[in-house]
Amino acid sequence: MMRSRFLFMTALCVSLGCSKSSDNGSGSAGGSGGDKQYQIAVIPKGTTHEFWKSVHAGAQNAAEELGNVEVLWKGPLQESDRDGQIAVVQDFITKGVDGICLAPLDSQALVPYVEEAKEEGVPVVVFDSGLDDESNIVTYVATKNYNGGALAARRMGELLEGKGQVILMRYTPGSESTTQREEGFLETLRKDFPQIEFLTTDEYGGTTPESSLDKATQLLEKFKDEVDGIFAVCEPNATGVLGALEETELAGKVKFVAFDPNAPLVKGLADGTVHGIVLQDPVTMGYEAVMAMVQHLEGNSLEKRIGTGEYIATPENMNTDEMKTLLNPEQFED
Amino acid sequence: MSGAQPKPTEDTPRLAKHAYVTRLLGTALGPFLALGIVVLFFAVADSMQDDGGAFMTVRNFRTISAQTATVAVAALGMTVIIIAGGIDLSAGTALALCATVLAWSLKEDVAVLVVAGNNVQGVESEIEELQEKLDRVTREIDRKEATDSDTTEAMEERDTLEKGIAAQQEELKRVTKIAASTSRYSPTLALALGIGAGCLCGFVNGFLISYLRVVPFIVTLGTMRLYLGVSKQIASETTVRPDRETQVPEWLGDFLSIRGKALWAGLPIGVWLTLVLALLLAAVLRYTVFGRYVFALGSNETTARLCGINVRWNKIAVYTLAGFFVGIAGLYQFSRLSVGNPTSGIGLELNIIAAVVIGGGSLSGGRGSVLGTLTGAAIMAVITSGCTQLGLKNPVQDIILGIIIVAAVTLDQLRQRRFAD
Amino acid sequence: MPAPLLQMWGISKRFGATQALKDVSLTVESGRVLSLIGENGAGKSTLMKVLSGAHQPDAGEMTLEGHRYAPDGPNAARLAGVSMIYQELNLAPDLTVEDNIMLGQEVRRLGLLDRTTQRRKVREVLDRLGHPDLRPDTPLQSLSIGLQQLVEIARALVNDAKVIVFDEPTSSLTQHDVERLFQVIRRLKDSGIGVVYISHFLEEVREVCDCYSVLRDGHSVGEGDLDKSKDQEIVGLMVGRSVEELFPVVPHQPGDVLLKLDGLNGRRIPRDVSFELRRGEILGIAGLVGAGRTELLRCLFALDPVSSGKVQVEKVHPAPMPSARIRAGLGFVSEDRKDEGLAQTRSIADNTTYSSLSRYSRFGWLNLRRRTKSVSDWMEKLNIKAIGPEQNVDELSGGNQQKVALARVLHQQADVLLLDEPTRGIDVGTKAEIYRLMGELAAEGKAIIFVSSYLTELLAVCDRVGVMSRGQLREIRPVADWTEEEVLTVAIGSED
Repeated sequence: MMRSRFLFMTALCVSLGCSKSSDNGSGSAGGSGGDKQYQIAVIPKGTTHEFWKSVHAGAQNAAEELGNVEVLWKGPLQESDRDGQIAVVQDFITKGVDGICLAPLDSQALVPYVEEAKEEGVPVVVFDSGLDDESNIVTYVATKNYNGGALAARRMGELLEGKGQVILMRYTPGSESTTQREEGFLETLRKDFPQIEFLTTDEYGGTTPESSLDKATQLLEKFKDEVDGIFAVCEPNATGVLGALEETELAGKVKFVAFDPNAPLVKGLADGTVHGIVLQDPVTMGYEAVMAMVQHLEGNSLEKRIGTGEYIATPENMNTDEMKTLLNPEQFED
Repeated sequence: MSGAQPKPTEDTPRLAKHAYVTRLLGTALGPFLALGIVVLFFAVADSMQDDGGAFMTVRNFRTISAQTATVAVAALGMTVIIIAGGIDLSAGTALALCATVLAWSLKEDVAVLVVAGNNVQGVESEIEELQEKLDRVTREIDRKEATDSDTTEAMEERDTLEKGIAAQQEELKRVTKIAASTSRYSPTLALALGIGAGCLCGFVNGFLISYLRVVPFIVTLGTMRLYLGVSKQIASETTVRPDRETQVPEWLGDFLSIRGKALWAGLPIGVWLTLVLALLLAAVLRYTVFGRYVFALGSNETTARLCGINVRWNKIAVYTLAGFFVGIAGLYQFSRLSVGNPTSGIGLELNIIAAVVIGGGSLSGGRGSVLGTLTGAAIMAVITSGCTQLGLKNPVQDIILGIIIVAAVTLDQLRQRRFAD
Repeated sequence: MPAPLLQMWGISKRFGATQALKDVSLTVESGRVLSLIGENGAGKSTLMKVLSGAHQPDAGEMTLEGHRYAPDGPNAARLAGVSMIYQELNLAPDLTVEDNIMLGQEVRRLGLLDRTTQRRKVREVLDRLGHPDLRPDTPLQSLSIGLQQLVEIARALVNDAKVIVFDEPTSSLTQHDVERLFQVIRRLKDSGIGVVYISHFLEEVREVCDCYSVLRDGHSVGEGDLDKSKDQEIVGLMVGRSVEELFPVVPHQPGDVLLKLDGLNGRRIPRDVSFELRRGEILGIAGLVGAGRTELLRCLFALDPVSSGKVQVEKVHPAPMPSARIRAGLGFVSEDRKDEGLAQTRSIADNTTYSSLSRYSRFGWLNLRRRTKSVSDWMEKLNIKAIGPEQNVDELSGGNQQKVALARVLHQQADVLLLDEPTRGIDVGTKAEIYRLMGELAAEGKAIIFVSSYLTELLAVCDRVGVMSRGQLREIRPVADWTEEEVLTVAIGSED
């Protein structure tokens, strides 16, 4: 008897605790936007990278601006856990949220579950990375990753003055957004700077800074005497490459263009070890995804594709106001 | 044996009857009670949310059952291993290997590959490649003709390429013809290969453990990496993506789907299969000689030897059987993801082992039950799902799962201590 | 007369339903060796655990040098001056002799080890024990068991032990080491230390002890000076019943030859063992620990590798695998019930039938009902006290566990029973039951090889007794032609 009462009390406390915490996010008190309350699940690829913290902040900004939206933020426990992300999608469908904003971990694996959501009456906005089959989604909110890759290629071309040998560090197979960047970089560089050669284009750095560090170190050791430039296609990748450059004492000598910033990379930009960082606008991405969902819920029609802008930061322009905010994007804090 | 013999001076203490009952409760009912408590907890907490009430719905239990099936099936195999006093750290990567083999076999149209030694895709891409080269050579010839340089070498190359393309087109006809009749066997063959890969992984584990006499922890720590490497090799370090529309049979895609059309008597077919396999395994453990030997091995290997039990072969059988379940779990994972990814099994072995341990399996061997394992897997899935629906964050979810595992192991220790004296 | 060094009065201790000690008293005097005698399960270990603080008594008191002594754990007992030397040594094999001696009582100066002082202390103690030649920096694992034991005694001395308890210290020693141990004990005694010596062997006790105290079923049943007491008197106290009650005789007649060994060699031991065994015959094997008795049985059952020699059961030469030996009709009961003989966490039914499950199976599936029935029958025949066939073995008493181990070989219908110390660690009543059972089995035409360290039972139960020493079977004689002294002489045996 005692025991069951105790459990009941615990259940009570926890449920009160969490309903309170979700109140924080909902901003339901104001209610300036509309009369209907929306509960929108935002599912990132993971929850530990800084990038996603900024997306979270953007989503939260949108919710606060609208006033009638509650953002439920939840990703898989591990960054590359497809099955975990599928489970989160299914659980939110079960919960009966009004809409799901999803950054799919896999362009193919998530397709049937988006379809399932549609069947259950839950609309899905996809952001950051695309899906193979986009027929069941409301819209796709993302950086034009191809353009981002092209920006990096142009910067690399300028840095090398049109000739030299470069390494392309890919991320991981099956990630649509990074594949786009890789394509953009490859094609633009081949087209606009035909005298630049690729030393390698099929090496994958993996999903963690550690795995990228290992891979980059191997590559740099191998091409020590030939390499003039290196492009890392996302943040964990770039962190690993920067470490590898320092380890092989090539930092500063090899032109290094990264994609997505973090503190060491920004510091590298100031030190001259990083020569360019392609910036996305994660805050805008989170904001636009939630906004698009609400637009859809209120019956407005939307473009199939919403861009959130891409920029390149260089040692020269990094101190402008625009670049400052993009380099240190707002992050979500509890 | 009666007669004027001396009275035995000791009796089994009366306490034992009581202990006997608690033991039964402890192994079978303990995890079940825990599941009840966890479900009740989330149900109450969920219903107290403003917009709650979705937790105690048929859809939710259907979802949970589909989400837990992969780990549950693999954990059935792990139960046998753990009862036999072993452990398998390679289960996660072996599972991904099976899924990758299955995906690869579907993608490569494996039946055609076996019969014709090639497949339509392969020939087509070959032709495409040759065509590309041909185009380049043709352009080169044009350029050279324009500048009046020597074209003989390039012309020769063009001729070889044209012949090559013609030959490949013949090949394409041959392969297409074979494909028309044999392609439909690919899914079955792929399934057999996927599950067979699991059995093979298990056999290798068992063989190494028996014949090298190295502790299972170390052997499987090694094979964990080994299987990861093999599946990366098969997948060429990428994700294997058979075409959903044409290459993945519909029933396979719907195996764990909870969409209306895929359900069978209210649950996905994969979930029913899990239950059937669990029943079969429970029967094997209880009613077969092999099942008894499994318990004997885990309880005391030297006793097993002394009783004339072939310890080596039974161990190999245990790991191979577990490999079979890992193969089925690989099938489940593929059906959920529709892609084969070598890394998608990393860390999964810990969930699988946790399911067994939460379900009352003892890492020192000799104890564990099928029902307990299913319950253990369900507890983890309920917590995962419940946390999402309560809006609890990932850190909280990790902490709760951790506490549950520690609690389960502590309980196991308490049980052991109680019967040690 | 000065106050005794250590006194225990009215000690009682109960575990659940078992009264382990009841009103036990004991006096240890400085400069004397007291022998604590009793059957297994008589309460000796429990009493010593009370003395060492591992158990707290339910009633009773202890004084050490006239002061109240109530240790709350082994460490407190050690600090007070009571040290235990157990059968299994508590040493760190990878450390040196010095480190082991000083373990937990290191000399520190300014927080650092003071090696010089430590070395001096170690040398002093080793001197005192009569072994100044033992180098303190030798790694422990390179020493013989006997010398390791010496290290353990040295540790007690460094700690200023006033009372040292030896719990069956000779069970794993060679004859030479035993002699050395006795010298050390005499030195301890001369330096005024009170010694408690626990042993089964009256001969040993007579050699080194001054007085004795006998425990039986948790009670003190007698004490006195060894000079003034006869062996029979002491045995009578230990056993508490007459010889006829203890060793019931079932008449049986040897028949045809059933088992034939010809030059059986193990990897190291046994060496070149040959003998014949007839149906209806009980052959006892005596010898010291390490003489190769257990190894002979294990080799015979193919649990240990066989390097050469022939084993023939009736007309069969079974392959060297336990399963083949079982099929040929051999049954083995291990001396180590806990770690080898039984799967402790499995049921009586499983343990009884593991060696012959196929009897209840068809295509690998078991008929459990038939098995339960059969196991119940065996439990009844052997008088196994348990709730039912599904009760776990680890919940049974030692005697009942031993009966389960016997039930297994009987259930597998073994013709030749290899029993290794089947009466070790069980109570007197069950022992008698097992002797009777052996007699009955012999009368049914089975052959039994009975290995035991307890000479009295061998001479009382067997038809013939063979003595092993250094891996060889020295001599087999009809039991009537042996005396205990003769057996011991052969067992200790000089080189041939």
